[in-house]
Amino acid sequence: MEVSVIGTSQATFCSGGELAPCSRELRFCVPKRNGDALYFLDRNSRRRCRNSRLQLTLTAAAQSEPVRSDSFPVQEPATTPDSINKVKLFVGLPLDVVSDCHSVNHARAITAGLKALKLLGVEGVEVPVWWGLVEKEEMGEYEWSGYLAVAEMVQTVGLKLHVSLCFHGERQHKVSLPRWVLKIGESNHSIFYTDRSGEAYEDCLSLAVDDLPVLDGRTPLQVYKGFCESFRSTFAQFLGSTITGVTMGLGPDGELQYPSHHQPSNNNIPGVGEFQCYDENMKDQLKQHAASLDNPLWGLAGPHDAPTYNQTPDSSPFFNELSGSWQSPYGDFFLSWYSNQLLSHGDSLLSMASDVFTNTGVTTHGRVPLMHSWFKTRSRALENTAGFYSTDGKDAYEAFAEMFAQNSCGMIIPGMDLSDDEQPDQSMSSPEMLLKQIQAACKKHGVGVSGMNSGLRLNGFDRISKNVVGDENNVVDLFTYQRMGAEFFSPEHFPSFTQFARGLNQPFAGLDSDDLPTEETLPVEASVPSNAEMQTA
Amino acid sequence: MSSVTVEPLLRYHRRTEVSGLRKVANSCYSSSSLNCSRQKLFHRGKCKLRLRRRPAAPVVIRASSSSSSNTALAETFESSGDVFFRHSFPVTRTETVEGKIFVRIDQENGKGNWHLTVGCSLPGKWILHWGVSYVNDIGSEWDQPPKHMRPSGSVPVKNYAIETPLKKASGDDSFYEVKIDIDPKSAIAAINFVLKDQETGAWYQHKGRDFKVPLVDYLLEDGTVFGANSFRPFFSNILLKPETQDHTQEPNNVKKEDRKVEGIYEEQPIAKHTAIENSVTVSVRRCPETSKNLLYLETDLPEVVVHWGVCRDAAKNWEIPPGPHPPETVIFKEKALRTLLQAKEDGRGCSGLFTLDEGLAGFLFVLKLNDNTWLKCKGNDFYVPLSSSSSLLAQFTQEHSKDSPVSVKALDQNQGSDTAFTNEIIKEIRNLVSGISSDNSRKVKTKEAQESILQEIEKLAAEAYSIFRSSIPTFKEEVVYEEELEKSPPKKSSGTGSGYEIVLQGFNWESHKSGRWYMELKEKAEDIASLGFTVVWLPPPTESVSPEGYMPKDLYNLNSRYGNIYELKELVGKLHESGLKVLGDAVLNHRCAQYQNQNGIWNIFGGRLNWDDRAVVADDPHFQGRGNKSSGDNFHAAPNIDHSQDFVRKDIKEWMCWLREEIGYDGWRLDFVRGFWGGYVKDYMDATSPYFAVGEYWDSLSYTYGEMDHNQDAHRQRIIDWINATTGSAGAFDVTTKGVLHEALERCEYWRLADEKGKPPGVVGWWPSRAVTFVENHDTGSTQGHWRFPGGKEMQGYAYILTHPGTPAVFFDHIYSSNYRSEIAALIAFRNRHKIHCRSVVEISKAARDVYAAIIDKKIAVKIGPGHFEPPNGPRKWSPALEGRDYKIWESS
Repeated sequence: MEVSVIGTSQATFCSGGELAPCSRELRFCVPKRNGDALYFLDRNSRRRCRNSRLQLTLTAAAQSEPVRSDSFPVQEPATTPDSINKVKLFVGLPLDVVSDCHSVNHARAITAGLKALKLLGVEGVEVPVWWGLVEKEEMGEYEWSGYLAVAEMVQTVGLKLHVSLCFHGERQHKVSLPRWVLKIGESNHSIFYTDRSGEAYEDCLSLAVDDLPVLDGRTPLQVYKGFCESFRSTFAQFLGSTITGVTMGLGPDGELQYPSHHQPSNNNIPGVGEFQCYDENMKDQLKQHAASLDNPLWGLAGPHDAPTYNQTPDSSPFFNELSGSWQSPYGDFFLSWYSNQLLSHGDSLLSMASDVFTNTGVTTHGRVPLMHSWFKTRSRALENTAGFYSTDGKDAYEAFAEMFAQNSCGMIIPGMDLSDDEQPDQSMSSPEMLLKQIQAACKKHGVGVSGMNSGLRLNGFDRISKNVVGDENNVVDLFTYQRMGAEFFSPEHFPSFTQFARGLNQPFAGLDSDDLPTEETLPVEASVPSNAEMQTA
Repeated sequence: MSSVTVEPLLRYHRRTEVSGLRKVANSCYSSSSLNCSRQKLFHRGKCKLRLRRRPAAPVVIRASSSSSSNTALAETFESSGDVFFRHSFPVTRTETVEGKIFVRIDQENGKGNWHLTVGCSLPGKWILHWGVSYVNDIGSEWDQPPKHMRPSGSVPVKNYAIETPLKKASGDDSFYEVKIDIDPKSAIAAINFVLKDQETGAWYQHKGRDFKVPLVDYLLEDGTVFGANSFRPFFSNILLKPETQDHTQEPNNVKKEDRKVEGIYEEQPIAKHTAIENSVTVSVRRCPETSKNLLYLETDLPEVVVHWGVCRDAAKNWEIPPGPHPPETVIFKEKALRTLLQAKEDGRGCSGLFTLDEGLAGFLFVLKLNDNTWLKCKGNDFYVPLSSSSSLLAQFTQEHSKDSPVSVKALDQNQGSDTAFTNEIIKEIRNLVSGISSDNSRKVKTKEAQESILQEIEKLAAEAYSIFRSSIPTFKEEVVYEEELEKSPPKKSSGTGSGYEIVLQGFNWESHKSGRWYMELKEKAEDIASLGFTVVWLPPPTESVSPEGYMPKDLYNLNSRYGNIYELKELVGKLHESGLKVLGDAVLNHRCAQYQNQNGIWNIFGGRLNWDDRAVVADDPHFQGRGNKSSGDNFHAAPNIDHSQDFVRKDIKEWMCWLREEIGYDGWRLDFVRGFWGGYVKDYMDATSPYFAVGEYWDSLSYTYGEMDHNQDAHRQRIIDWINATTGSAGAFDVTTKGVLHEALERCEYWRLADEKGKPPGVVGWWPSRAVTFVENHDTGSTQGHWRFPGGKEMQGYAYILTHPGTPAVFFDHIYSSNYRSEIAALIAFRNRHKIHCRSVVEISKAARDVYAAIIDKKIAVKIGPGHFEPPNGPRKWSPALEGRDYKIWESS
């Protein structure tokens, strides 16, 4: 009975005569829904209520949602795609939504855009928060004003906000790491990932320095944590209400991976990428690891016979389909070490993040890449160079999913708009099958999956819809569509998006026709029951 | 049923007939309300059930009997001390009456006397405010019509118009019209007018502009008609919306000779808004028997729905009171009740009675006249305190002690503020989402609601798209940016000078003719400085195919028709001595070749920069360049330089640095920067770090049907885009402002000088520190005259640019070969005295048809245009400082 009152309007009961006083009392004794409310609602009681005579499922769908989505951090296996299972749609804000001088870029456009999204029934927006912008000049000096302004704009419109903490740079949009970090990097190049030719990747710190005091005596992990904590305290008023989720940046492009394929390919066929284990610290760790296994020779360098960035797997021996050394004991040694490094990097970052954001009412997420090229080969080279030891017979994603589960983090998988048909045959690619594999691992370990698209395309919507709602094995609770900008609102694109958004089970589109406003808008603001704010807050 | 429920209605019973009573009875019957009188009813033994079940005849009897038995009650409602609240709210609503304005030209009985008839089908005190334009008039100002044209009763207004009242048309009482005789032999080209309603003071125009009836194409000189057909399109375009016109030709069979002539007739729909005063009276009385409050609401408005709720405290949060509710009440979205008031028996308005529980603090309502019209109380909900002792009552009395009329708020979706509307929808959706929608009983129209939401989404998306696409900092950001700059004391920032610069263009299109311009200008250096200029822009110095210098050949050869390199250095030295900065005119877009390639095309360069055809853009077929495609527009008279080539950029940077050092130029005027990407300009500016730089980005403003659009955002956006591409390292000539000034001054349309946001409409309104405002230059004016400023109005232009932010640039001719010298000098001195700078803040006070006025930096006021303006004397005292033809400037003391 208590449960039933959540989101049930008082007026329903008013018409029921004697129930009215009862409902009013109960309404106020229900805890805020984003807090611990879910803990006294076990699934059984929900079910019972739904079947009860009062038809308490009349509570609008949006009310029941948080109950479900909040449930995955408590390790409840997300196995119940019941009637209330519904995908929440988010839209990414422009990467440069906050300018270099901490003002909101295109504020007018963003405001209009937010309103349009709200009307469309979109749940919220995602905002990339750049380390290089917030902690730009000095370590520990944070400038949040721009993002606070964004959060306020989002709150005003009544949308939710999912924050992606970006500890990487973005060349295309001229976002780099903080200046003071780059300055340190000038003298100490080994804080960056480095490839075999010695070229450093300066848009992200190497995972090998996570626990080394390379940043003026502090370790990157400590710096990341300071950043997260500053964010938590600065945005305390929004956490759990407007801000519902945080994605922890885990590497290049924010994804848990090595920057193995950051060089653009010359043609449509992506190469296999390169191993990124050549900075001094990585080499040290490899050496130690090899020594600990009594095989010091294996620790002298990475595989000498691996292809370079844009080559095909067969162009050199390491990834050769049939005779490649990836199948050799050395190959196994190297690939598992390389992948485990990434795994433990992800583990320490995610556990730090879920630590920081525990009891704040936000869910924590991490993103993994969808390295779909060469999926149909036995050696699956691209996944391996990126750090996922996935070959014929090996499934790296199991371990990664388990790690996410242990840290109570949701997993974000990009590329949900990609279909096999569109991939060039020569790339031996299968985004669909890879997605299935990762999702299966997540399902097994009870990790909530959120989706993302690879970019703005006109013909990706069908695939996204299929991926997020089509299959009952797909457990996708949230989909973030990337990303707002001129193209997003262009006459070529926006109508398709509108259709897509309405097609998803969103409040506006999904409401029974009975539920829509029946007449012109109300002239009286005050006539909104006071509890409406509380319910949506 | 209850006697008290019907009581207020029954007050009218005695004056009405059975039908009216039946209505009352019916409404009682339909009501299920249980209220205080129930008790009483039982007490008296009246038969409630009979009343309910039999609506017909017995009801009449019952009703009248209850009426008599309750007369006392009815009176107590009014008179007894139980009535603790009574208030009459005045309500004003706007009624719209639609009619038409027509314009007719016809000939009276074929006598050759032509008439223009202007009429209106709506009642009112109509005045035709009109003037004429003569055939050879260039400007858009009106002239007073000749005396013989003026109908009796005409009154001259100022010196350019007269006003003639419309009279009831003979024959048809419902029309008002005025007839004007037209003499086809006169030189009158057109009759211009607007219609004015003296009662309301409203003006009726055509699409926001004057009506214009052109005559010259219509009537031939011999007074015959040229033919309506050839004339009509012209007329239609100018006068009326094609889709609304309902033109009937009225052929006149004219006996004169055998020629058949036709008149013309056009109509335009108009709507007149009349304010109608009504009132709403609310009385509240306490029913001692039941401890409930009875609220009686009556109004003289016709059919009206009360949208109401109650509140429990001063926060005035709406709630739905527990039932029973009055008859004809529906629940609206679980948030309010809607009660249709019953028509009063005398037919004058309607009323309703509401029974309310004890313990409620107030009764809140608004009145809904129709779907788009709501009546509110001073913009808020009507509020009636329900407790006689509460402080709320006192508060109410206080709030309403000075009663102002209640205003009408028409929530028309198109007219209402978009934002407010959107917020409303968002709120609606939010409410739906938050679970208020559980009432299954509401199965009503939804399609329209969905449609309107989708339309709103589209509108918002389009807005977002246009802003994103233009990818520029928004105006708001600009303000922040400017303010940041403001904080640091004005300093030499790259490309913008001190912020207090005033530029003189130091040449015109003829300056090359003497062959010794540098020397001639040198003699004026002191004079220029004494006038208050700070920067002088010199002509392009290089060897050139054309004598004016804009077709450069060998960039390092500085011997030109203006003088040789030594004279140039001497001039620059002298200008510097006089405290002036010097701008070199750098032509970077194109360069004339010295040699032909193997195909005989001139695209191989000579001199020190002996580039070959790789330095020429590839997309101009005339010059067979082997470079990349142009990053801008092509200038077709010479090979366009491919700035994407590293060697080209390197050479240009070297050359410009050499000019800086060797000649001593302090900055640049950059020719035809439309031709290549602004990013390269940034490159050059970074390399040469000029004190001041300005680019010429000149393209056409937007026009619709030959008339300039009010909104020139796209035009200034392109200029802003260019400045942005240079990352602000160079400013740009504010071509937009010049264009808008042209229209405003020439056509007497001074309203154009404020954009939709109330800011200056040119680049200066968006990025003042990078806008170089000007009235004329060697291309637009001088002996070329490609786009000459409206003749005789230049001083208004200078009054504008020299009082406004931006960096003003004055054309040489206006100082040295016109009568404006002293006036401009006074303006410059005034600008300098008041320290108006490129980031000064403009506050537009007035932008009307015939006058524009603004206050700058809160210390000076300026008006331009013939109309009247006086700066308001408030805390600041304004005293006139400068005055000229159609402009006036004040300073605050």
